[in-house]
Amino acid sequence: MIVCVAVVGHQNNPLYIQSFTEADDALKLHHIVHCSLDVVDERGLLSRHTVLVKFDSGVVLCGNKKKAAADGAVYSKLNNPKKSSPTLNETFLGLLYPTENYKVYGYLTNTKVKLILVTTDLDVRDADVRNFFRNFHAAYVDAVSNPFHVPGKKITSRTFAERVSTIVKSFGLSSGS
Amino acid sequence: MGREVSESCVESLLTEIVSSYCNGFYADKPELAARRIEAIGFQVGHQLSERYTMDRPRFTDHLEAIKFICKDFWSEVFKKQIDNLKTNHRGTFVLQDNRFRWLSRMSVDPSIETLGSIQDPSAMAENKAAQAIGMHLYFPCGIIRGALSNLGIPCAVSADISNLPACSFVIRIKA
Repeated sequence: MIVCVAVVGHQNNPLYIQSFTEADDALKLHHIVHCSLDVVDERGLLSRHTVLVKFDSGVVLCGNKKKAAADGAVYSKLNNPKKSSPTLNETFLGLLYPTENYKVYGYLTNTKVKLILVTTDLDVRDADVRNFFRNFHAAYVDAVSNPFHVPGKKITSRTFAERVSTIVKSFGLSSGS
Repeated sequence: MGREVSESCVESLLTEIVSSYCNGFYADKPELAARRIEAIGFQVGHQLSERYTMDRPRFTDHLEAIKFICKDFWSEVFKKQIDNLKTNHRGTFVLQDNRFRWLSRMSVDPSIETLGSIQDPSAMAENKAAQAIGMHLYFPCGIIRGALSNLGIPCAVSADISNLPACSFVIRIKA
C-alpha cells in the first residue's frame, strides 16, 4: 500500500505532498520524504560527474596535461561504480532507501522535479513502480500545463489530487494477481 | 498522443497578441510590449518543455539540451527541425531555421513602399517592417528561453531576421 506521495520542485520546495493513511502520522511521512531528497541529490550529482570527465578529456588536448590527467583519474574513479549500470540518466531512480517499515522510491525529471513514493509493501515489483511514476508524472505535467498554475507554487488543483489518488489506489492492481 | 491545435488559430492568436500589445496596451512603449510578449512565450516554453521531456533520460550537458530543442522540441511545435546549429563552444548557440513557420506567411506591406511620401526614404519603411517582424519573434524567443531555463539552463535569447522567412535565434547561456 502506498502511504505517501510527493512532488518536490527543483529548489527542494514542496509542490504537492499527500499521505494516504488513516493514522495521524503525516508528519513522520513528510520527514521520510524530506530525508529522501538528499539521496536524490546524491544520485543527480553522480551523473554530473560524467560531464566533468568529458571536459577534462578536452583539457588534455589543450595542454596542462599532467593536472588534467590527474583530475580525470579522480573523477573516473568516482564514476566507475556508476558506469557499470546502464541506467545512468534515467528518470526513474529506483529504491532510494529502505527504512524499517517503509520503502522509498524516487523519480527525477528532466526539469529537476522530484517525485517521491513511500510504500509499506515489502515485495514491490519494479515494473509496478515504474508504471506508477509514469502515470504520476503525466498527471503532474497536465497539472502544471494549466495556464492558471504559477510555476514553483504548490499544486492546488482538485483534479490533480483526484487523479493522484486514483493512481495510488490502482497501484499494483493491474499486474498484481 | 497529444491533442492538436489548429495552426491557423495559433498564427492568428500570435498576430493578435502582437498587435494588441504593440498598438493597444503599450502603444508608446514598444520595449515594454516586447517584454510582455516574451514573458508569455516564456511560460509557454516552460510548460511545453515539461511535457516534451517526459519520456527521455535526463540531459548531461548543455549541448544535449540544445539539440533536443533543435530536433524534438522544434518538430513538436513547428513540425520541422532546425536547419542549422552553430556554436562557439563557449555558451553561444545559433539556431537557424530557413523557413520559420510563423514568418512564412508574412509579407512586407507594399503600401508602405508605394504610398510613402517621396521624402520618406525606403530605408525607413524597411526599418519599420523589420521592427514589426521583430515584434513577432519575441514570442518564439520566450518559448526557447522558457524551455531551456526549465531544463536548468539560464540563458538569453534573441532573434535575427536575414531574409524572410528565414530567421535565426541566438542563445547565450549565462555562466
